[in-house]
Amino acid sequence: MLTEGQVVVHESLGDEEQRLRRLVLKGPIARTAHAGQFVAIQVQDSSISSFDPLLRRPISIAGISSERDEITLLYRIQGRGTEILARAKCGERLSVMGPLGKGFSLPEKGELWLVAGGIGIFPLYPLAQSALAQGLTVRLFWGGENKSFLESAGLSSWKALGIPLHLSTLDGSLGQTGLVTEQAQELLKKSSASGGQIRAATCGPKKMMQAATELFKNYKVSVEVSLEERMGCAVGACLGCVCTLVDEAGVLIHRKVCQDGPVFRGEEVVWNESC
Amino acid sequence: MSPVNLSTQFAGIKLRNPILTCSGTYGFGEEYVAYCPLEALGGITLKGITPLPRLGNPVPRLAETPAGLLNAVGLENPGLEEFLKSYLPKVRKLPTAAIANISGFSLEDYVLLARALQKDSGLAALEVNISCPNVKHGGMHFGTDPQSAQEVIAAVKAVTDLPVIAKLSPNVTDIVGMARAVQLGGADALSLINTLLGMHIDINQQRPVLANTFGGLSGPAIRPVAVRMVWQVFQAVDLPIIGMGGITTWQDAVEFMLAGATAVSIGTGNFVNPLVPLEILQGIQDYCEKRGLASVHDLVGLAHRA
Repeated sequence: MLTEGQVVVHESLGDEEQRLRRLVLKGPIARTAHAGQFVAIQVQDSSISSFDPLLRRPISIAGISSERDEITLLYRIQGRGTEILARAKCGERLSVMGPLGKGFSLPEKGELWLVAGGIGIFPLYPLAQSALAQGLTVRLFWGGENKSFLESAGLSSWKALGIPLHLSTLDGSLGQTGLVTEQAQELLKKSSASGGQIRAATCGPKKMMQAATELFKNYKVSVEVSLEERMGCAVGACLGCVCTLVDEAGVLIHRKVCQDGPVFRGEEVVWNESC
Repeated sequence: MSPVNLSTQFAGIKLRNPILTCSGTYGFGEEYVAYCPLEALGGITLKGITPLPRLGNPVPRLAETPAGLLNAVGLENPGLEEFLKSYLPKVRKLPTAAIANISGFSLEDYVLLARALQKDSGLAALEVNISCPNVKHGGMHFGTDPQSAQEVIAAVKAVTDLPVIAKLSPNVTDIVGMARAVQLGGADALSLINTLLGMHIDINQQRPVLANTFGGLSGPAIRPVAVRMVWQVFQAVDLPIIGMGGITTWQDAVEFMLAGATAVSIGTGNFVNPLVPLEILQGIQDYCEKRGLASVHDLVGLAHRA
């Protein structure tokens, strides 16, 4: 749906040098949104209408409160679009399309392992909440640049969930030094749970998701991945954001990240395919 | 005051109003159903099809530019057979006129497609894309050489009973020469303009943003070029024109009609605001009322009087 979301909170998140923002919008999107879906938000300085930047920005949904009709978007200022979005003030109304795309699925029982790289953590929080509400066992593997990043990007909220957290940083300032997938691998080696009892979901840099997918495949754990691609229409009309998958017959096919995804089964994604 | 007559008729195409959507920006009509009531549109132009399925170009396919968008989708489409089987039955049920768009790599490709699409397909017209900039040896060859353009339109006209619209490329020195050529080929109407060839380089990575290197530029950035071409062709060629190229507000649409467009088509503007076709229609209607015009058709070419 196309709606206007009223800004109820718009604040800096954690350490200012991380350039992270928390934007809470009031509107009907929360009623039908699921973890892993996204919105396409118009980024315009409301004081003067302009077509530069032209396109809406796709941002994953990082919090859903259907009782309060609120969704939370967490984003990093990293370009003209997000710089302009960051100027939106409380009370302002932003044009929002959503909820868009197909989100994560939840197993009926067992363990759900979440693997996040950097700001790929954001869409996983509502997934963890839903999984816990359904009585699943959840654990998080999260890698980031350093301690300041992890703390700014919501570490305390994750701690509040009371689930096992396996943290890693590139500089070793918090958790283990190294890659997030290394920690997952160590635990898989030790784990008594068989692949059939574990499901995984991952979001982050493409190389990290690829490594996670290959790792889980070795342990027969099925994994869902959330892909990212430059989007035009965000509703499946323009074919700007396709990804390459391999179908059951082994044939390469295209799917639209905006409409068929952004969440796909890791094993069907063709990571190195450029067509 | 009596209400403004919005309906329009040209080249054997009857539309409830002059607002269309551009090929490649509106899928096969289903994608925008949840966002814009199709019954309010004059019609939609379907995603371009080729004889065989195409996967199109690698990603990145899109690059945003100042008030514009570069795309190099590369004619990804399900191919004729799948279109007829899986898409056309749904298209026929859409509550608005549907114009098919065809692309080819040879004269035979265009003939094969045109032969398969007739009035009894439930379509309102056939738009012949002789202007895709994103495919090597693709449609644009036919769109930049007047002789080839005339031949392909004549060949299409010979095998379909649908009105034939030639979609012209702006990537030519003489747009009027191209318009005259397709008129000689028997075109019933013109779509002006397709995208302008452009590129964008990522200065951090020091390489082109688009995997295809070049792409077609659309959006408000190209509007003045499109208006100029509509103006020139309107003066020189007696064929109805569907104006397109960066239309994002009702004022843009009025500008195209004053320059000589009988209908207007919205492309990239849908991505900005899916309800923009309705807002444009309302704006045109209000404009006509204020100016005491009985019909939207009265706007066509009005700026040429001076």
